[in-house]
Amino acid sequence: MKRNGPPRPARGPFLALLGIAAICQRAYLTLWRQPILIISTMLFPLVYLLVLGNSLNRQLRHIPLAVVDEAGNAESAACRRGVMALETGRELVNATFLDDREEAMRGLRRGTYRGVWILPFRLSAKGPGPAFVGDNTDRFSFDALDTALRQIWDEVARGTTSAAAAADSSRLEAYPYLDYLTYLGPAVVCLSIFMGSMVSGGLQVLEDRMYGYHEGYLVTPISTGALVTGNVLAGAVVASLAGLLVLGAILMLTPVVVAGSREVAAAVATVFLTSLAISAVWFLLFARARGVSVLRGMFGIINALLFFPSGALYPVESYPPWLQAISRADPLTYGLNALRNLLLRGSSPHTVLPDWVFLLTFALVCGILTRVLFRREI
Amino acid sequence: MTARGPSAPEPLLDAPPFLDEPAGHPIPAAAPRPVSIAVDRLTRKFGDRLADDAVTFSVSEGETYGILGPNGAGKTTLIRMLTTLLPPTSGTARIRGRDVVRDRPAVRRTIGTVSQAVTTDEHLTVEENLSVQGKMYGLFGRGLSRMIDRRLAQVGLLDRRKQITRELSGGMRRRLEIARGVLHSPRVLFLDEPTSGLDPQSRRAIWEMLGELKADDAELAIILTTHAMDEADFLCDRVAIMDQGRILCEDSPAALKRSLETGERTQIETARTLSEADGEAIVALGARSWRAPAANAAEFQSRPGEDLGRRAARLLEDRGHRIVHLTITSVTLEDVFFSYTGRELRGE
Repeated sequence: MKRNGPPRPARGPFLALLGIAAICQRAYLTLWRQPILIISTMLFPLVYLLVLGNSLNRQLRHIPLAVVDEAGNAESAACRRGVMALETGRELVNATFLDDREEAMRGLRRGTYRGVWILPFRLSAKGPGPAFVGDNTDRFSFDALDTALRQIWDEVARGTTSAAAAADSSRLEAYPYLDYLTYLGPAVVCLSIFMGSMVSGGLQVLEDRMYGYHEGYLVTPISTGALVTGNVLAGAVVASLAGLLVLGAILMLTPVVVAGSREVAAAVATVFLTSLAISAVWFLLFARARGVSVLRGMFGIINALLFFPSGALYPVESYPPWLQAISRADPLTYGLNALRNLLLRGSSPHTVLPDWVFLLTFALVCGILTRVLFRREI
Repeated sequence: MTARGPSAPEPLLDAPPFLDEPAGHPIPAAAPRPVSIAVDRLTRKFGDRLADDAVTFSVSEGETYGILGPNGAGKTTLIRMLTTLLPPTSGTARIRGRDVVRDRPAVRRTIGTVSQAVTTDEHLTVEENLSVQGKMYGLFGRGLSRMIDRRLAQVGLLDRRKQITRELSGGMRRRLEIARGVLHSPRVLFLDEPTSGLDPQSRRAIWEMLGELKADDAELAIILTTHAMDEADFLCDRVAIMDQGRILCEDSPAALKRSLETGERTQIETARTLSEADGEAIVALGARSWRAPAANAAEFQSRPGEDLGRRAARLLEDRGHRIVHLTITSVTLEDVFFSYTGRELRGE
């Protein structure tokens, strides 16, 4: 009987490692068998990238503008040339030249024009200057037209010859379309990490608890610390996978140039550490949660609290102080900063070390809190 | 059934051994084997409600102990306390000498559980599920794969090892749960309603499988909760009937059935009308609740094992009657159960 006896099981740290490996093995296998999960965690951020990048802050084009030249002098001719340059060059406006001020204003009220630029009789640098009447229901077009027309007049009034150059001046070029998409790139990697960790870490923990799989873990001799570590790590591995796939897509879709293999390796490490921190957040939140309904309520709030304050869509510096405080505690801020440094600013890996330290510390603190809160009961 | 190592031939579990046990042949007292589970006044309160009220019992090595009870009797709470998943409010429980509160890791190494919950991942294959669970118990490498092979053979799933768990039938899934529960060769196995919701064939297959597990490991103590009386009768050496958090009685299924005074029911139909004197003669034999549903019929109850049905029939023949019909119905564990717990529905 003895010769066929049961094998001697591992104990202590080796048991903990085996358990952590087993939890990760299961998470990986579960994901592998449900490709729809990984596709959806990647798809959401990529669609986000494409839709946001193409809708928000896109360079304005073809704004209908009416120009009423009542002056008919050299200055007004220079202004008209400036508008024509705007139309043919950056295609900011679709200009219509009218003689009748009333007709132009009627068009403005009907929505035919977003702005009317009136060049009054005796237009000159000393006055009277041109008048801009804009449709301020659309603030973006209003501001763009106002700025562009003001620049034209400035150039004309100062007597500079090239009004076209004035129209092409730098202010509106600050966030052109391609740059914004690129700027969004690292944010989308972070969003996919967020989604991946939610699907694989957060949701999995809740489902396990609901369907009873958890019970199978709880009765085993593995320590609670190893149980928490395993679950956080499993969530992080899956989230990293989602993040890395999106990172690859970003590198192909946007004109990001990475300096070298060290920067790529550092970016990969950043993705993993960010995943670890976010996965730890989910597990901490669900340390005592029982049903999936908790997630339904939480998702929106957590998304708003982690994603938007991170500076993913808008620079953190412009936030009010309370939002900046959230931003400082948000691990995504650091992940994002590190990724932007490595991918956009071409910084060398050692500059992102403080971000890594924060992410790792954050994950550790969350893990310890989870260990304290975690109840090995049913 | 399934191919196994060159061990001794397995004892075949045939018909339920207790049903036709002759009278005057009491179950031999259990050999003095070491106590595996010792539960002493174990109590659990949820607010004001007492789920388990000073439950006390012990189970020896190699013994199968059944806990019967209606829903809400406190069975699952009891199992959860014994499997370290719920701290008791008071009282103690020891599994092979280890306290279930103070020495949880040691208890967890010793026990195996098959709960009502589904603890196998439906996306993993049969083998992967066992591999993940085995590692949680510290098994690895060749030792782990040897145990997986052995357990899969025992539960009859060896040819399904590469199958995705979701595709298994309910019965096979339960067998996988049991394989998971015993993978690490526990010394005590907890089965919480192991066959609820299964068809008769699957139930029978699981019973036979549990019989084989016991035959394979003579020291394995099993605690089993169930609603199914036939299951307790078939599997358990001893049965406790529980209700409202208390153990009402505890004995072998056969002894419990014998203890029921009205456990055997006899119906006799004769060719001629029965006289009042015939009835009195049968009552004189020891029949209880005698009644005559028709002029030529008699119905009564008696203590199991007294063989009163046949003796009454013989008596009537001696008194010149021809027996047309004789039905003797044995008591079931269900009758015992109802006699202790009553028939009204429970709140839970």
